[in-house]
Amino acid sequence: MLALQLLCNGIVTGCALGIVAISFSFVYSTTKIFHVAHAGVYTLGGYVAWSLLAHGFPAPVAFLVAVAACTALGALIQTGLYARLERRRATHLVVLIASLGVLAVIQNIVAAVYTANILQFDLPWGAKVFTVVGNVRLTVTQLLTVVCSLAAYAAVMWFSHGTILGKQIRAVASNPFLAEITRLRPRRVHVYVMAIASALVCVPGVLVPLDFGLQPYNGITPLLTATIAMIAGGVGSITGAFVLAIVIAELQNMSLLFIPGEWSIGITFFIFVIFMLFRPTGLFAAAR
Amino acid sequence: MDFWLSYLTLASIYVLLGLSTNLLVGIAGIFSVSQAAVFGVGAYIVAFFLMNDVMSFLPALAIAAVCCVALNIVLTLPALRVAGDYFVVTSFGIQLLATAVFTNWTGGTGGANGLPGIPPADLFGKALEDTSSETILCVGGMVLGCLVFWLVMRAPFGRLLRAIREDELAVAASGKSVLRAKVSAAALAGAFAGSAGGLYATFLSFIDPSSFDLDSSILLLTMVVVGGARTLAGSIIGPFLLLALPQILTLVEIPTTIAAAARQLIYGVLLIVFMLFRPQGLAGEKL
Amino acid sequence: MTAYLQASGVEVSFGGLKALNDCSFTIQQGRITCLVGPNGAGKTTIFNVITGFLRPGAGSVSFKGQTLDGWKPQAIVAAGIARTFQNLRLFVDLTAVDNVLASLPAQAGEEPVSAIFRPFHVWSAQRRRREEALAILDRVGLSARSGDFVRNLSYGEQKLLIIARVLATGAELLLLDEPASGLSAGALEGVMTLLRRLQDDGKTLLVVEHNTRVVQKIADDVLFLHQGHLMAQGSPETIVNDPALAEIYFGGAL
Repeated sequence: MLALQLLCNGIVTGCALGIVAISFSFVYSTTKIFHVAHAGVYTLGGYVAWSLLAHGFPAPVAFLVAVAACTALGALIQTGLYARLERRRATHLVVLIASLGVLAVIQNIVAAVYTANILQFDLPWGAKVFTVVGNVRLTVTQLLTVVCSLAAYAAVMWFSHGTILGKQIRAVASNPFLAEITRLRPRRVHVYVMAIASALVCVPGVLVPLDFGLQPYNGITPLLTATIAMIAGGVGSITGAFVLAIVIAELQNMSLLFIPGEWSIGITFFIFVIFMLFRPTGLFAAAR
Repeated sequence: MDFWLSYLTLASIYVLLGLSTNLLVGIAGIFSVSQAAVFGVGAYIVAFFLMNDVMSFLPALAIAAVCCVALNIVLTLPALRVAGDYFVVTSFGIQLLATAVFTNWTGGTGGANGLPGIPPADLFGKALEDTSSETILCVGGMVLGCLVFWLVMRAPFGRLLRAIREDELAVAASGKSVLRAKVSAAALAGAFAGSAGGLYATFLSFIDPSSFDLDSSILLLTMVVVGGARTLAGSIIGPFLLLALPQILTLVEIPTTIAAAARQLIYGVLLIVFMLFRPQGLAGEKL
Repeated sequence: MTAYLQASGVEVSFGGLKALNDCSFTIQQGRITCLVGPNGAGKTTIFNVITGFLRPGAGSVSFKGQTLDGWKPQAIVAAGIARTFQNLRLFVDLTAVDNVLASLPAQAGEEPVSAIFRPFHVWSAQRRRREEALAILDRVGLSARSGDFVRNLSYGEQKLLIIARVLATGAELLLLDEPASGLSAGALEGVMTLLRRLQDDGKTLLVVEHNTRVVQKIADDVLFLHQGHLMAQGSPETIVNDPALAEIYFGGAL
């Protein structure tokens, strides 16, 4: 049944989107920076993996190098740009614009090197189809997306609540001023946060294009949807962001039963407006 | 000669957009990547009216401006009532949504192929068919826009906006509505952007969604950042400089396949460099 | 007779911390009332509640018999209550007279339409307003510095300017948050004289003040706030000389 297929596709997309949302939320709740360039990191990951595969490297190596590249890029953006701007006491607006500049740079370097056309991955094993519950067909890639995303979610939850660094990060997030005058070293924490978030976002950055192909300017739409999930789920709530990402992906997918696909962004946006009008703090707003 | 006239005409139109973006981003402090969308709405409205012979240019332009004023009010009012970053998301969403509408609503906007054959502007019955009269119209529009901007900034409204940039809380404590001021600035920005759209449509006689997408919004931001925020001079310098850039680039032999990406890349670099080292732009005040 | 300003059972909590706890008091019209208490007693918080910047969890504030529950800050200023900030919050890149002008209510040209379509009317109205602003600056003793940018004013002059700014709103009840703190002896005298002059002009003042000498010199009534609650109320002599209160104030109970 079409609806069931769409439902399952929604879970797949939602899981990937959930990781984008979690990684973005990680940065935003800690550094308070609306890191638009995150969409660029997401994009870069896919292309790096594709390049390595095209040069004959095995898939795991390609993936790991992509993660490393994204991590490095994230750390670079933090130390080279955001930290500098923070030292100069730049306003929020200035940081936003700078982040937008980084996004433009990343996207267009990719477009210049790889052209703006859609690139497909050449992974035959990824396209193998499994038939699940009642005629629902899922590719290996899609199953892999769900598994990896759930694993990443669990990892982030464990990290945030179970490790010392994770707790430090949460401490910095909840009270940056206090963190500054204790031993927490917020600036170093910010670098870790950016590095981890960038590594995380590489996961959907590679998995999603396996299905849909690579395109240099395709990062902003998932990022936008992810930020909506983050806000709706409550900034600071990892689970909230993840769950809402799936919900939004479901709504987008199910809406395909009624309206043409190119309008799906309208659904996302409509949801956001409703939330903004009635519950700006989200459903799972973290206790402050 | 025609080339210089075209450059001047286009620059004049973009000065109006620069004033619009400056009002919104520089003066009201609202991060906006959706200015191109509003620009597009203005362009498509005027194009529609002129192509279907519904009315002449000036009334069409007026309606486009009013629609864009209303659009900006509707977009900024709910977002501003909540918190700063929500508007960032809203702005991106509006821009992407607008591009989706422009590209897919083939009936209204001609879809991805755009609208060719837009009649030229006409003033009091006479069609302006040659480049020089169109140039005069657009430059006239620019001068008018600059005058309006100057009047507004010189008035208590301008002082109120400057105070808001410094300390919103203190302004609220003085009994003034910060929200109303910001929304008014956004409304005025809409009028500028809508008018620019109408002039653009009649000058080029062809519009398509690619002129009104996120990349265009980024260009508008770059103009304000480079020219300088919050000042009249900045709103003029930015567009003139940035529109000269593609011409300068043709001197460097960049293959056409990556020309567009190269331009956008430079805009991105300019944004980063100016935010890091010269946030006030060439002739502006610190953002 | 209805109280001029009345706070009844106001409660405010930030997370687990109770900033205001069943806070109730009344202010008489035309008097200078000083609000004292140790740090964290809730003085700035009650200011925020009265002026509409903070919604109390419980309780209400009423002004001249009318309750202010849920009123927006602008409406409260229009009703006649205005406040200053302890950390000044002046418009640094504007001149002194512009700071005052920015606070004058209901000016022509404060929105784009009249600014664009009636410029001459706006400009002539502005000339009149400018004179009003200069008169206010004169009232606080700053006429010589009217054209100077705020960043070029001394701290004492800036403190006078915030009073000018709050006067500009036209409010009859002024909530002043530490108007005399950080001032030299001479400037201090100037501020105290100014406050009494404002009282003569018909203003009612509610002043947060830490300096007991200032309190004794200018206050008609004193409210002692502790842990968000009104602990004592009376004349300056009784409050300042009470040993139990002094112990709380100078570091007893905590």
